[in-house]
Amino acid sequence: MISWPNFRRAVPALAVLAAVVAARAEDTFYAQRVAPILEQKCVACHGEKKQKGKLRLDSFAHLMRGGEGGGVVQSGDAKDSELFIRVTLHPADEDFMPADSKPPLTPDEVKVLELWIAAGASATAPLSSIKGAPALAAPKAPVAALAPDWQPRSAQIARLEEELGVRLVARSHLPTDGLVLRTAGAPTRCDDAALAKLAPVADLIVEAELARTKITDAGLVWLATFSNLRALDLTRTRVTSAGLGSLASLGKLESLNLTSTGVDDAGVARLKDLPALRKTWVFDTRVTGVTADPAASAK
Amino acid sequence: MNFLPTAAQTRRAFLGRVSQGVGAVALASLLGKTSPPLHGAAARGVVDPLPLPQRAKRVIWLTMAGGPSQFETFDPKPKLAQLHGEAMPESLTRGQQLAQLQGQRLVCHAPQFPFAKFGKNQTEICSLFPHIGSVVDDICLIRSMTTDAINHDPAHMFMNTGSQIAGRPSMGAWVNYGLGSEAENLPGFVVMVSTGPGRSPQPIATRQWSSGFLPSRFQGVQLHGRGDAVHYLANPGHVSRAQQRTDVTAINALNRQHDAFVHDPEIATRIAQYELAFQLQASVPELTDLRGEDARTLALYGCAPGDGSFAANCLLARRLAERGVRFIQLYHRDWDHHSQLREEMPLKAQETDRASAALITDLKQRGMLDDTLVVWTGEFGRTPMSQQTKGTAGRDHHNKSMSLWLAGGGVQRGLVYGATDEFGYAATENICTVHDLHATMLHLLGIRHDAFTVKFQGLDAKLTGVEGGRVIQGILG
Ligand code: HEC
Repeated sequence: MISWPNFRRAVPALAVLAAVVAARAEDTFYAQRVAPILEQKCVACHGEKKQKGKLRLDSFAHLMRGGEGGGVVQSGDAKDSELFIRVTLHPADEDFMPADSKPPLTPDEVKVLELWIAAGASATAPLSSIKGAPALAAPKAPVAALAPDWQPRSAQIARLEEELGVRLVARSHLPTDGLVLRTAGAPTRCDDAALAKLAPVADLIVEAELARTKITDAGLVWLATFSNLRALDLTRTRVTSAGLGSLASLGKLESLNLTSTGVDDAGVARLKDLPALRKTWVFDTRVTGVTADPAASAK
Repeated sequence: MNFLPTAAQTRRAFLGRVSQGVGAVALASLLGKTSPPLHGAAARGVVDPLPLPQRAKRVIWLTMAGGPSQFETFDPKPKLAQLHGEAMPESLTRGQQLAQLQGQRLVCHAPQFPFAKFGKNQTEICSLFPHIGSVVDDICLIRSMTTDAINHDPAHMFMNTGSQIAGRPSMGAWVNYGLGSEAENLPGFVVMVSTGPGRSPQPIATRQWSSGFLPSRFQGVQLHGRGDAVHYLANPGHVSRAQQRTDVTAINALNRQHDAFVHDPEIATRIAQYELAFQLQASVPELTDLRGEDARTLALYGCAPGDGSFAANCLLARRLAERGVRFIQLYHRDWDHHSQLREEMPLKAQETDRASAALITDLKQRGMLDDTLVVWTGEFGRTPMSQQTKGTAGRDHHNKSMSLWLAGGGVQRGLVYGATDEFGYAATENICTVHDLHATMLHLLGIRHDAFTVKFQGLDAKLTGVEGGRVIQGILG
């Protein structure tokens, strides 16, 4: 039994110890090397919001608690740890993690997990205590968001797809990669009014495929709200030079397809100040000074 | 991905995974599922969202059926010319597979036409193909392709499905299954076979565009370049479009009721196909009406509307691509030059050279080449040895070397990739397989080929097979 004076002495000592651990948590192998991997590749399905397989991987304590099938880390033995087994299966295996074809761990990341488990899967082992871990990849410039995360608006997106009969397709698995507006399935359903109705999600759309739709110059004013638009296809629409003025605010627009439209040189002049525009197609228009003759360009 | 219903599978799970599109919409509404409906023939893909950035949105695959000789197209071999008539080195040929040259003396056969230099990089290709030469800076030429098969049918199956044995889904079916189809009134996978004045070639079998073990709504639909694009498409004189609509609606309502009891993807297919056929009655005449194409465009391709030529089909391929068709495969036959190589090759060149180049030029000028992957390939290559058993000299089938090209959709422009030995007998540098080609195509479409599987007969079946393919990184732009 601890006598009172002793205990009093112990209190500052404990406080000091806690301070040391807390300070060190920053420098542990777990915090520096393991947690970031789990955070990046697993926590979307194994964290606070979702607990697939009743497993959370967003803290050491959760990780050690394991999931539906019990513990997932067998301290000292990676090959017997569910955590390690799941990420080293064949990617086509049903049990492969991350599930659903999400980006898999790199061989370096797998190695980090393996070394950490082999060294005892400790929360406190200092960074320097585990040798041979592959160097951290140079911090990649974070992938620039092309648009705000569309996920919070998914219900609205689905409603608009249904109402307007257009498709709003995620460009990639990154929710900040924006949406593609697709109309090729039934272009005639997409008109100026439809474009106006897309206003609530306009900032999410990075690519608008409007070829052969019923869009007119009047409808182009709505494109001003498509603030993150990078690619716009207006092939074979009734758009003319007069309408192109509405595109002036599209500071991110990189490619513009005006094939078989009513634009002429005056319209092209209006595009001069678009800062990001790199490619413009004006085949089969009245624009002069470009090879519009297919036979000529085929030599 | 497992879409085949099993006793244990709930209808909800089955729906979620399989019967996308029309059937799914109706049933989904019965079940109170809220995912937005798709109209007409459009269907959502199972790979959603895509794991990789999508460089190509669609594919136009030009199949040169019969096996074009690389020595008279894209692989210059001056050494072979010097050795014309001499025995092939046994070190190359001993114990190797042969098709029709079994038991024959194996003799070098010189390239029959001169090569010329084209484009910025002075790429050498056969002088019979000056138009392709004129777009060589836009294409990626692979000289180191190989295949497993050495006879037409298995080689076509392999190129189309990744397996020599019939029964697997063809790539067009895989791609539509994975990405979904965009067009509401056209199939997602269209096949056209051109006719020319050439010799009577091998037939092209519909199993080459089969959906295999995928639901049959993903199979290729053949449109004809001459006569009615789709046979028996027009209504009989006394049936109006409105009447037809009522009939199709009623039949599909019955089919949906049935589908609610037995979950069979083939019922969803049937519903979708009834609807599609109805849509085709309106969309096909619009598709094939080339009056909107100006004289310059017709001259670019070198075709007359409705002449059934490869050139006309190339133009239709562009029109299909514009209308949201995901996978378009054109066949042009009669490249099987066992004999009369010298006599017949110029004819093949004439039929395909201008048209192939026109397709590239036309897609490019319309801003479509960046996101359309074009592939020009036979099912195998031909031997550097001559074949003399069937008349004037030709070349036999060969699987250790062949040339093909790709363009657009995220592949490098103006690249020559890989090489063969000085006889052109075997690929020696950057050797590619058909699985690699498929893996690369899927990669460009935004799909990871190794994770794109369907459970079938106890295997996770893939387009890229069990041997595995690898993405040809060296050609990616
Ligand atoms: C897209 C969602 C998703 C992602 C991302 C994901 N998982 Fe999972 N995980 C699941 C699902 C669903 C289950 C339950 C089904 C199963 O056991 O396979 C699961 C189960 C598990 C299990 C088994 C839990 C148990 O006790 O049964 C482990 C271990 C696991 N995941 C590890 C990981 C790791 C490590 C990562 C990151 C590299 C990861 N997961 C990323 C969806 C995901």
